[in-house]
Order: sequence, then C-alpha cells, then structure tokens
Amino acid sequence: MNAIFTVVFIASMIAIAFIAPDKLLPTLLGGAENAAQMALTLFCIYAVWMGLSSLAEKSGLSRGAAKLLKPATRRIFKTNSDLAGENLAMNLSCNLLGLGGAATPYAVKAIGELEKEKNYFAQKLLFVINATSVQILPTTVIALRASAGSLSAADIFLPSLICTAVSTFTGVLLFIITQKAGKRVKKWR
Amino acid sequence: MALIIPVIFIAVFIFAVIKKVNVYAAFTDGIQGALKFTVSLLPCLAAIFMMCALFETSGLSDGLTKLLSPVFGFLGIPPELTKLVLIKPFSGSGSLAYLNDIISKYGADSYTARCACVCFGSSETVFYISAVYFAGMKVKKLAAPIACVLIATLLSTVIACLVCRVM
Repeated sequence: MNAIFTVVFIASMIAIAFIAPDKLLPTLLGGAENAAQMALTLFCIYAVWMGLSSLAEKSGLSRGAAKLLKPATRRIFKTNSDLAGENLAMNLSCNLLGLGGAATPYAVKAIGELEKEKNYFAQKLLFVINATSVQILPTTVIALRASAGSLSAADIFLPSLICTAVSTFTGVLLFIITQKAGKRVKKWR
Repeated sequence: MALIIPVIFIAVFIFAVIKKVNVYAAFTDGIQGALKFTVSLLPCLAAIFMMCALFETSGLSDGLTKLLSPVFGFLGIPPELTKLVLIKPFSGSGSLAYLNDIISKYGADSYTARCACVCFGSSETVFYISAVYFAGMKVKKLAAPIACVLIATLLSTVIACLVCRVM
C-alpha cells in the first residue's frame, strides 16, 4: 500500500502542477472532507451493529453461535483461540447477510486474536475470504437500483451470487496453492 | 427477505432480556467500541481519500481508463465500466459514485447498469480492507494474497459481464 500510495500521490501532484496548480490544495481538502463524511457514515453503521453485537456478546448468544461454528472455524483457520473463533464466526455470518460494514470490526478483532497465536496463515485466509466478497444478499446495490426506478431491482440476485461464489472459490484456491508452493520452495532449498 | 434484519434485532434484544442483561448499558458499551474503532480508521481514510481525489483531478484516472479500455473490451467488459472496475479495489465510496453515474446515465435496467451492479456487489475494496485489517500487525508477505484476490476479482468481473448477457 505504501508503494502505491506514494507513487500515485507524487505522480498526481506533478500532473496537477502542470495542468492546474491552483487546484492542488482544494483537491486535498475535498478528499479529507469526503473522508470525514465517510467516517460519519461508517460510525453510524458500526454504532448500530456493534451495539447489537455487544448485546449478543453479553447475553452469551455469540458464544453459543461460535460454539456451533467452532469445529468448522477451527478446521478452516487452524486456530485454538475461543475469542478468535467467536469473532471469525460473527464476521462470516455478517458477510453472508450482505452486511460488509458490520463484518469489518469482527475481522479486525479476529486478526488481533490470531496475531497472539502468530497464526499468519489464518489472518491471510480471512483477508482473502473477505476481500473476494462472500455474500448472499447484495443489499446496497438492490436498494440503489430500486431508488433509480428499476422494474425488478432484485433480478441481479442470482448473477451476483454466481460471481461472488466464483471469486471467493478462486481466491481461496489460488491462495492455498501459493502458500503450498511457497513452503515447497523453502523445503527444496 | 426484508424480514431478516428485524428478526435478528428482535431476537437478540429478547434473548438479552431473558438472560437479564442490562440492555441499555450493553448497547451503549458497543457504541463506545464503534466510536473508538471509527476514530482509529480516520487517518487511513483521510490519506486514501486524498489520494483518490488527486488521482481524479490530475486527469491520470481518465488517461488510465483510455489506456485500458481496449484490454477490457477484449475481456468482454464494457468500456463504460473501466473506471468502476479500476477504482473498486481502492475505494468503496469512489466506486459508489461511479456506479451511481452509470445507473443514472444508462437507466437501472440497462445491460451496462446491471453489469455494473453485479460487478460492484460481488467485489470488495481489496486495498482498503488490507490496510484496515493489517494496520499495526506484524504479518508480512501480503503481496501473494492480494494478487490472488485481484485475479479472482477480475475473473468474477468477466463472468459478471457474461452472465448479465443471458440472465
């Protein structure tokens, strides 16, 4: 990220210096302003879902759900930490419901827990699963289409399901292949 | 389908009451966490949004779009989607802006707009997620997982454009 950020930032600034030097500062300020607005939107989403999840946590509901999913998460992510398993389970269920924003805090917590175990494989696997978008219901897009006057806003449901399944499957498969290949190269040396 | 969210909320609240949890305190506690979390995100958000704004204003994004349109055409991706597909890995709100443009320009039920919707809905902000997830972690060698995700996303984009033609 550092490399991309630096290169894009410098290249863009140079280009702007040539075409419209007076626009550099307004552009930067505008970007920061958008970020602040985005943070406010994100806070609203997190406030709702983390409030709810704190309730689920304190009443023992999420522990129960995690217990149910524990054999699966343990096998997939190779972790022994209960707290990591719980957060992984919550992250996956939020994702499947199309609540990507709500899933993020759980992923961050789970990654923090996995860090304690030095379980880097699970951290990366979780990233691959999340970044290839696992979801059953693309709620945002359907809402957007409906508000734009679509006659059948939900008809993208099936194509979306096919595509997200393909991308997650391919992503995980490629990731496991690269991990195995990496290990083999190490042994061979 | 619309009932999923109300059912989840009601079930969690009722379960908490049965378990004699202090509902108000627990809910506020969660929001406290949300506040801390949002504040911790702000530095990354501000920096990335500045980068995206610069990229747009400098005209580099237009240039890149023009440059890549033939490649995308070869893969069966409509050239109108180039910017959306390119910006999506970096910024959710940036891609949302482009998606809105496409929907209002071509109509919500057009092939281009449906295609754009499927691409948007079945991909994620890869670089943003990697920044948020791994901020402050010791994990290294993230290039391989990121590459895997990008290849998978490109494949699903190509398939989205195919599937939208028939469905």
